[in-house]
This record gives sequence, C-alpha cells and structure tokens, in this order.
Amino acid sequence: MTGTKGLRQRRTGRAISTLLLVIICGLTLLPIVLTFLYSFFPMSEMKAFLDTRNSYDQGRFMNILLAPATVSLRQYYDLLIDKPIYLQLFMNSVKYTLAILAGQVLFIPTLAYALSRFRFRGRETIFFLVLMLMLLPFQVTMAPSVLTMRTLGLMNTAWAVILPMMFAPFYIFLMRQFMVGIPPEMIEAGLMDGADTVRSFFHVVLPLSKPILGAAVALSFADAWNMVEQPLIYLASTQNRMPLSVMFNTLSSSEQGVIFASAALYIMPALLIYSYFQEDILLGIQLSDMK
Amino acid sequence: MFAKKRSLWLFLLPGLMGLMVFHLVPFIGGIYFSLTDGTVHNRLVWFENYRRVWGNAAFRQGLGNSLELSLLSTPLIFLFSFVLALMLKTLRERSLPYRNILLMPYLVPSSALLIIWMVLFDYGGIVNRLVVALGLERVMWLESGALRVPIILLYVWKNMGFSVVIFSAALQSLPDEYYEFAMLEGAGPVRQARSITLPLILPTAFLVFVLAWVNAFKIFKEVYFIGGAYPRDEVYTLQHFMNNRFTKLEYQDVTTAAYSFALIVLVFFALLYARKGVRGHDRY
Repeated sequence: MTGTKGLRQRRTGRAISTLLLVIICGLTLLPIVLTFLYSFFPMSEMKAFLDTRNSYDQGRFMNILLAPATVSLRQYYDLLIDKPIYLQLFMNSVKYTLAILAGQVLFIPTLAYALSRFRFRGRETIFFLVLMLMLLPFQVTMAPSVLTMRTLGLMNTAWAVILPMMFAPFYIFLMRQFMVGIPPEMIEAGLMDGADTVRSFFHVVLPLSKPILGAAVALSFADAWNMVEQPLIYLASTQNRMPLSVMFNTLSSSEQGVIFASAALYIMPALLIYSYFQEDILLGIQLSDMK
Repeated sequence: MFAKKRSLWLFLLPGLMGLMVFHLVPFIGGIYFSLTDGTVHNRLVWFENYRRVWGNAAFRQGLGNSLELSLLSTPLIFLFSFVLALMLKTLRERSLPYRNILLMPYLVPSSALLIIWMVLFDYGGIVNRLVVALGLERVMWLESGALRVPIILLYVWKNMGFSVVIFSAALQSLPDEYYEFAMLEGAGPVRQARSITLPLILPTAFLVFVLAWVNAFKIFKEVYFIGGAYPRDEVYTLQHFMNNRFTKLEYQDVTTAAYSFALIVLVFFALLYARKGVRGHDRY
C-alpha cells in the first residue's frame, strides 16, 4: 500500500519538477539565445529596432523580433574588419585573463598545499586572513592598493590589473578546502614509496585535485573576463588598455548596429570554457568541504 | 600532515608574498589611512574621518542602497536555489542537463548581457508586454526607482546557479537509506523534508546564505553596467560613493567609507567563522 502510494507521489513530484525546471531553464537561456539570434540580423534592421527604444507612446510596443529578414554575418564582418578598436579591446581581455590564470596556476595550488597538508605555526592565522580578505569588496583596499601600485611603478600598466588577481583569496580558499579533504592514507602511501613533499605534491595531490583545478580555472576565467572594478581604477587614464568588459556600456550607445555581435563574441569564449569544464565545476564543488 | 619540513617554505612563500603585497599590506595600510588627515604631515586624527563620512548624505544613501539591494536579492537567491536543488534531486541522474544550464550564467560575462537587458526592460519591451497582459500599468523600468528590478534580476540570474550547485552537492551527499527508511515508516514528503533534509542541510544553507549576502552587498558591476558611474539616487551604491570620491582624490574618505563597509562585512564573517565547520580542519 505505502509502496504504490509513495511511488505515485514520487512520479507526480518528478513530473512537476521537470515541468518547472524546463520553464526556468528556458528563461535562464533566453537572454543568451536572444543575444546570439540578434547578432545575425542585418545591421540596418538592428539599428532600426534599437531606435524604437525609449519611446513612451502608450499605444506602441517594440516589435518582438524572432527572425531576421535575411540572415546576415555583416555585424561580425563589420566588427572584426572595420573596427580595429573592438579587436584591440577584446585582445586586452584575452591578455589579462590568460596572464591572471597563468599566475594563479603557479601560485595558488602550492599555497593551498602548504595551508592544507603542512603543520606549522601561523597556519590558522594565514587561513583566517585569506577568509577575511576573500569577503571584502575590492573598494576596501582600493586607495592603499593604488599607493602600492604607484610605489612599485605599476599604475596604468597591465600589471596593476593582473598581479593582485593572481593571488585572489577566493581561489586559495577553494583549493584549500578541496585539498584538506584528500584522505591522508593516499598521501601516506606515497610517502611509503619514498616520495618527499615535492613528489607527493606533483604525483598525489595535484592529480587528485584535477576537478577543483578545472573548477577554479573556469570560475576564475569568468571573474577575469567580466572584471570591471580593477581596470576602472588602475587603468583610469589609458582607455585603450581597458578590457572589453568595461566598455560595453559605452559601446551600447555608440555602436548600435554591431552591439549584439560584439556581445555574442564576448560570450562565446565563456561558453566554450564552461562546456569544457562544467563537469569539473560540479565535481570539484561536490568534493570540497563547503560547510 | 607534514610537520617541520623545510620544503614548506618552497610552497608557502611565493603565494604568501603575493598575498601580503597585493592584499594584506593595502588592507592594513588602509586602517592607517582612515585614521590620519591626509595632509603632508599625516597627522593622526583618530575617528575624525569616520565622523565626517558618516555625516555625509551620499555615504548614507550609498550604504542604505547597498543594504537594500542585498536584502532584496539574497533571499531570492537563497530560496530559489534551495527549491531548485530540491527539484533537481527528485530527477536524480536526469537532472544533469538542467543543472548545467542553471550554472551557465555564472560563467557568462554580465557586461555582454547589458544590451539585451535594456531591450527586454525597455518601456515598450517584452517585460512590459507581459505586465500589460496581466492587466497592469506599464512600468518605467529603466527611468525610475524600478531600476532596482532589472539590476536585481540580472544579479540573481547570474549568481543563482552557484548556490544551486552548492545546495545540490549537499543534498546529494544525504544517504538514500534515510529516505527509504522514512518511507517504510510511512513518513510523507513534508515530514521527510522537515526531519531529514532540513537538519542535515543546515550548515550548507548557512554558508550559502552568508556568501550570497556578502556578495550581494558588494553589488556594483550590474549597477554600473545599467546605471553608469552616476546612477539614479535609488541605486547609488556604496561602491559608487567610493569610486567617485576616489576620482576626486579624496583618499581619506574612500578608505574611511571602505572600513565602515568592511566592518559590516566582517560581522557576517564573524558569524561564518564562529561555526566550527570552516575553522581548523584538524580532522587529519
């Protein structure tokens, strides 16, 4: 009796969940899908469409555009061939993001290893500071950071944006929480075979940390690719060194014809990274100590 | 756990140096900043700066707005992500594609979404079509205090997936046997949720809530994209106040505001840290 009732309950539960999830996922995807769709409209059609914005005529709505008169790659062509500034800003984003990721790969797993597998005085203090710094917004250390950068002669150079992000506390936290959870037997087994701390790092801890490494790379990519606060301050007087993420709200008013293609192009690398690392993100977070 | 190994320095030092120079030293330097007068003499004025900044109307407005935006978006993220995680759990292994879609916005740069957001929330846009279809008056989403709505939705849209994943991970780690046993004993879904799911999920829920709150309190990007550097009063955040003071070279004001801000964040932090879970993992 209870068995069949429970089964039926579960089945209706599953049906309702599926229905709601399909709707919510559809809404989640909508802005991305529309951005890509609109990027294939002819420039003139898009411009005309965007010009119908900001009309306060009660009787009129903007059209709902779902299919272009002709599918056109003109926006992309115009953007990539005729507007060198776009490519330059895009490449700035690429440069900053790659440099930040390279630095993080070098510094963060090693630091997390030290904080999770070594016992030494001050370890808890360092971890406490990491946690605290991770929660603070960028603006808290903004003014003194600028002084630091000035002292080091890095203001208005790419390094001012790159260097602090290389040591981003959140990723130290993320890696450390994962490494803490690696069963000690695995490391001890390595030690029996005569491995030292360095060997155990490269041959035991790093391979086991693969999911969280993937997760950290993907999440950090997203951070760096979308950064706004740091370049606004550190690169204030050098507009052409800005990453594209900062410039979208200027572009959206001046480059109406190609704005959707520029947005779509900027989303694309993020989607590629995501599809490559999505399992790592799920697994990495699942295996980390997140409570 | 390694003890007394000299190789510790090899692993610890490079990262720690960077953390010190680019994060810790500025943090400590800022405290000094907020207590001095900013002239060439750098006289210690103790809490004079704090008195001035807290008396400033723009500061109070920014603080109020930041609090308000975070108080509106945090419960949204928290409740939605919990419910979504529960729904995902009922689907078991078939939930994967949904989870992947829900997390996707977290990776997508919100800067690039700005334009489509402006189109959707235009006075003649799709959102207002829905509003009219529901028999209500059109809303000026972008030109009035209602600007909060598109900003919060952009923020929630982007950040909810991460909470869903954390919740899902926690829900998945609950042993199935508990539920099977409860079912045998005749406990319905509500009873199961109250007696099994909620108590076991509480530590994770707490983490999600605090992280979501602290992060929402830092909301700036989304406001900057939609409202610019000098947005309407209703969405002028604390970060705007700091950025704008910064461009006027009033460093004392910036850091003082920042530390007032930090103090509030650190109260959340104390809440988080006071619990055992995050602290010393001496289990190994």
